[in-house]
Amino acid sequence: MKKPRVFRVPELSSLTRLLFLAATTLWLAGCGNDPNPRPLHDKRPDGSPWLVRYGALPDEPRSLDPQFAYEETSRAVLEPVVEMLLEYAPMKTDPYEVVPCLLESMPEHTANPDGTQDYLCKLKRGILFHDDPCFPGGKGRELTATDALFAWQRIADPKVECPVQSTLAEYVAGLAEVAEAGKTSTTGFDYSQPIRGIEIIDDHTFKIHLLKPYPQIIYWLAMHFTSPMPREWVEYYDGRSHPDGPGGEMQIRPLYKWKPVATGAFVFREYTPGQRVRLERNPHYITTRFPEGGWPPEKEALNRPLAGRALPLVDEIDFTIFRETLPVFLLARQGYLDGMAVSKDAFNSVVTVSQQLTPRYRERGMTIEKDIEPSSFWLMFNMQDPVLGPRPKLRQALSCAFQPQGWIDIFYNGVAPVSQQLIPPGIFGFQKGFTNPYGPDLEKGKRLLAEAGFPNGRDASTGRQLEMTMDVTATGATERQMAEYEQRQFEQLGIKVRVIENTFPRLLEKEDQGNFQIASTGWQADYPDPENFFFLFYSKNFPPTGKNTGRYLNPEFDRLFEQMATMEGSPERFEIVKKMNALLLEDCAMIPFFNKAYYRLISPFAPRTHNNLMLEGGVKYAVLDYDLREKKRREWNPVANWPIAVAVFAALGAVGYGVMLNRRRNV
Amino acid sequence: MFSYLLRRILYAIPILLGVILITFLLSFVVQSPATRAKVILGKRATPAAIADWMHHRGYDKPRFFNTKSGESLLDSQFFNHVKKLATFRLGVSDVTGRDLKEVFKEGAIPSLLITMPAFFVGIALAVSIALYQVFVRDTPLDTFGALAAVAMMSLPPMVWIIFGQAVVALSLNYFPAFGYDLHGLSTVKFLILPIALIAVMGLGADVRLYRAIFLEEIAQDYIRTAQAKGVSNSRLLFVHVLKNGMISLITLIVAHLPLLVMGSLLVENFFGIPGLGNTLFLAIQQGDFATVFASVYLGSILYLIGLILTDICYALVDPRIRLS
Amino acid sequence: MARFFDNIWVQDAIVVFGFALVAALIWRGSRNERWQRAWKRLRRDKVGMISGVVIALYLAVGALEAIQIPHREWYSVSILGWLTQSIPHETSYSAPFAKETLSVAKAEALNGTHILGTDALGKDTFVQTLRACRTALIIGGLTSAIYIPLGTLLGILAGYYRRWVDDLIQYIYSTLASIPEILLLISILMVLGKGLGTMSIALGVTSWVGLCRLIRGETMRQAERPYIAAARSLGQSQWKIVTSHLLPNVLHLVLINFVLGFSGLVLAEAILSYLGVGSPVGTASWGAMIDGARSELSREPLVWWNLTAATAALFGLVLSLNLFGDALRRAFDPKRG
Repeated sequence: MKKPRVFRVPELSSLTRLLFLAATTLWLAGCGNDPNPRPLHDKRPDGSPWLVRYGALPDEPRSLDPQFAYEETSRAVLEPVVEMLLEYAPMKTDPYEVVPCLLESMPEHTANPDGTQDYLCKLKRGILFHDDPCFPGGKGRELTATDALFAWQRIADPKVECPVQSTLAEYVAGLAEVAEAGKTSTTGFDYSQPIRGIEIIDDHTFKIHLLKPYPQIIYWLAMHFTSPMPREWVEYYDGRSHPDGPGGEMQIRPLYKWKPVATGAFVFREYTPGQRVRLERNPHYITTRFPEGGWPPEKEALNRPLAGRALPLVDEIDFTIFRETLPVFLLARQGYLDGMAVSKDAFNSVVTVSQQLTPRYRERGMTIEKDIEPSSFWLMFNMQDPVLGPRPKLRQALSCAFQPQGWIDIFYNGVAPVSQQLIPPGIFGFQKGFTNPYGPDLEKGKRLLAEAGFPNGRDASTGRQLEMTMDVTATGATERQMAEYEQRQFEQLGIKVRVIENTFPRLLEKEDQGNFQIASTGWQADYPDPENFFFLFYSKNFPPTGKNTGRYLNPEFDRLFEQMATMEGSPERFEIVKKMNALLLEDCAMIPFFNKAYYRLISPFAPRTHNNLMLEGGVKYAVLDYDLREKKRREWNPVANWPIAVAVFAALGAVGYGVMLNRRRNV
Repeated sequence: MFSYLLRRILYAIPILLGVILITFLLSFVVQSPATRAKVILGKRATPAAIADWMHHRGYDKPRFFNTKSGESLLDSQFFNHVKKLATFRLGVSDVTGRDLKEVFKEGAIPSLLITMPAFFVGIALAVSIALYQVFVRDTPLDTFGALAAVAMMSLPPMVWIIFGQAVVALSLNYFPAFGYDLHGLSTVKFLILPIALIAVMGLGADVRLYRAIFLEEIAQDYIRTAQAKGVSNSRLLFVHVLKNGMISLITLIVAHLPLLVMGSLLVENFFGIPGLGNTLFLAIQQGDFATVFASVYLGSILYLIGLILTDICYALVDPRIRLS
Repeated sequence: MARFFDNIWVQDAIVVFGFALVAALIWRGSRNERWQRAWKRLRRDKVGMISGVVIALYLAVGALEAIQIPHREWYSVSILGWLTQSIPHETSYSAPFAKETLSVAKAEALNGTHILGTDALGKDTFVQTLRACRTALIIGGLTSAIYIPLGTLLGILAGYYRRWVDDLIQYIYSTLASIPEILLLISILMVLGKGLGTMSIALGVTSWVGLCRLIRGETMRQAERPYIAAARSLGQSQWKIVTSHLLPNVLHLVLINFVLGFSGLVLAEAILSYLGVGSPVGTASWGAMIDGARSELSREPLVWWNLTAATAALFGLVLSLNLFGDALRRAFDPKRG
């Protein structure tokens, strides 16, 4: 008897059903494309919406210890949390201006007859540290002068590895000695020991003694290195296990460098490596208020209603860490990031040929603003190179052959200004309307090259083609193209330029060893003063101790530098800066390249109240239109359904074909 | 079995030593500790600060043998590394100072959350497609499938990712184009696209491989016998071929399994998933050799575990093979 | 040394030598009966033959770009560069068949027509795509020249001599295989500097392990066959046994591995480019073109032609290599195909 064929369909279909169910659940859970996490709170205590601003970080912060962190990313996170003694006036960018923050007024400066200088600093009263378990009862205590001293002691403590210690120790009395004592001591740095140069007068007053004139000290007081920090913070957050949990449960405390506790407008809440940093408003914040005026006219409508308001204006700041630049742009477009600095990658989708916003963004109510960073980029020559060093004409020829504008047109869409001098705009000593005497002029370049002994790029005596090397750090496709452009510019002279690609550390190593001919470099101002740029060409700053990596040496320049460095801004100082600039360009130790400038894409719901780039802590002035953002997000993220239908259809078709084939074969 | 395992583990020791030695040598050729210090300490680092930095981390000790009088011969960088790694004291990152054990613990979760499902979804898909192809073998659909599989293999992964991100996330707005948040079910929306992309990227190669395995199986004598006995086509395929083909599959799968912890460099980078995928790459770039050592060491241990598991699997599924 | 390799005639000689080497290997193999049978089968394999022809085309284009001839103005130029010198340079991006450049501060009229548009620096995309064949060819060819002899030799030695030789070789490759490839690749490239040659060395170091394992297994199988025992009892030298018995019998595996491995290497170059350790500045490469697409795709209007051209070209080569490799396998081993 023939057995009836049993189909295993029930089993299969139950499996399919299960799969289908799982898929639907996943689908429902996965609905929506908002990448941001839930805010720390849904509503403010008064029931109004909780305002969260979303920002981007290009990299991981290296440390959140104000006396150690130095790079941009860490500063962006740190400065909203850690308030400084002084800060940059948010509305003033040309020139930049420093105003009191934690201090009641600007430090009182007295020059003593022996050349030493005193700065008397008075802290504002009633300023509380963030509420944090490191304080008794979890309540932040009042800020005192001891906390300011503590910051200076940490600068001196060798364990902290403060990167600017040696710079400051040169000027602040007693700092070097204390640092030395800390290094030799076997028990570690002694925090009970005072520093001669930081004298505590009373609870809220202290005096800084300088060994010699150093007007730039004001700017250091506006940087996070000198921010007062509570001692409890370092002692409590030791990275070890303590019975802190409910009922005395053992818990690991974070290490202090990942949990800053200070006086800023925002309280540090969370840092998840590779993901995000979250800050929450400091409810006790009273240090500063929104400025009463001084903004440019175009900000009047936005800023007038905010004048004198308590800060901060939003409740939470979420920074997302992006390792790739493309997603930043995607999320800004979807409304999940509140604007962004338009990177070169996203440039052309946002800015059109005529420096306008592209229609797609204009329709969405977005705007752009141009920011010029207080930074300068240039190509440097190795002045000790046997070929380049003794031949100023050769360097000048290269300078004349180099056309920065084309480069900027291609890679910065013509936004960044071609720089003609070392000092960037907005900083004392910048000469408006000045042009580089060895600016682009190919004919002149060829002539100079011939005078240098290389007519048409060939050595006059041997007939060999002149070969140069150019060291770059090339990491991506765009960087490669940039290098290729630069190479092409120089090769117009008939010489051959070999591009050597390095990793960033490798390039640093080569620069230290003086093992390069031409390299691209730049400097972002620590503070808006010409000294902060010219010191890169001062001969006492040769590597490895200093940053004069081009090894430029001109006694006249050195003399002017020493004179200029300790002067206050004055017409005489301006004259000296002019002379120094002329010397630098005539010796052609560098080819001025460009000042970094970019557009910032501003979402309609998150307009910018200021555009001061010296101010990393500026998020306390940030505003947000909550309802508009909700509306725009819905508008900008429509969901399409047809592709799902197509996919389901194709899958069904394939199964159907299989079944059909099976029938036919079985027959 | 036990003595076999013991032998394999003992055999792993010289390999791990070799791995540490090679990594150690590379670390010096690639970048001197002083340069690393310079990069990490920033633009104003002084030689004294650099010396301090190196001293705190033991990078100023002799490399292999400490010949200084009064100090142990083995108090050198290399042997300290071996000692530390052998006892799984991974230390802290040179750049961020974070405890590396934490780094790996925290990074493993997101990595596994995308690689595990992707791996199994990928296998399930590949096996079903391969079976389907075997089922419809010698039809134009099979030929098309085989060609399509090779075609999928021939696209670089970046093209897949760029496409997925641009189309599925941005134009269709189905999923977040970026991001990760470990928060119950809402985590899922961040994972679907990366998982799908990893699964699809490997699909071509897998389908081709499994199809070949199944085709080989179907040509075996026992299948023909079963066919002659009147076993249905679908039963033949799903029961006999699949079951026997699985033997070869499992061994392939098991060797891969432990390495899933290490994540996926490209996908994690593009989607901002804080996994372990680019830990090593980033560490090499930043000159963070404490992290490089730890992750290479852990990576090789996982690799060796995979090999041992494969051998055990072979023995378990195929009684003819004895572990000796 | 570097100067020696800069000489265009030396470079040309290397290219010619490379092609000659492959030809010699195939000629040597063709005396083998097994290869002759395989060739007969391969000739009937339509997909295999078509993909073979496509590969030959890529090789020809690559060779045109690889061979340099002296030039009055530019010192030297590749044959391909010389053939395409009438295609003008532009200042920046332009779309296929466009009349003016795209999105430079001001659009400029083009000097000519570009069927696939131009890239960021105004170079013709079609020409760049063709030139990149050379990069693929060098990466695939040089790397194979490093890892194939190494892997084959060590594999045969391990499989034939067994004992400590086998132990040692196994130890070396187990150790290498347990180190994440990316560390080896990047470190070697950091130490030796970027370049096509150094990239080939780095890839060579990481690629031989797979082949070595395969050859070792096959050699073990062959060594147990009676003909080896016979040769040994006839008193043939070890060397003779290895070269004239074992090698020819595993050579087909080497050939298949070479073809399939080549496709992997071309893809690897693309990934290395993404990681920033790809081909050096100024070298046309598909990997670099695809990497560039990350920023080009966020432009407006979209710059799609570089990505498309590079992906299509790379896809064509890798697909043909894979298909041809499969065809070879079928031809050599009809039972398992």
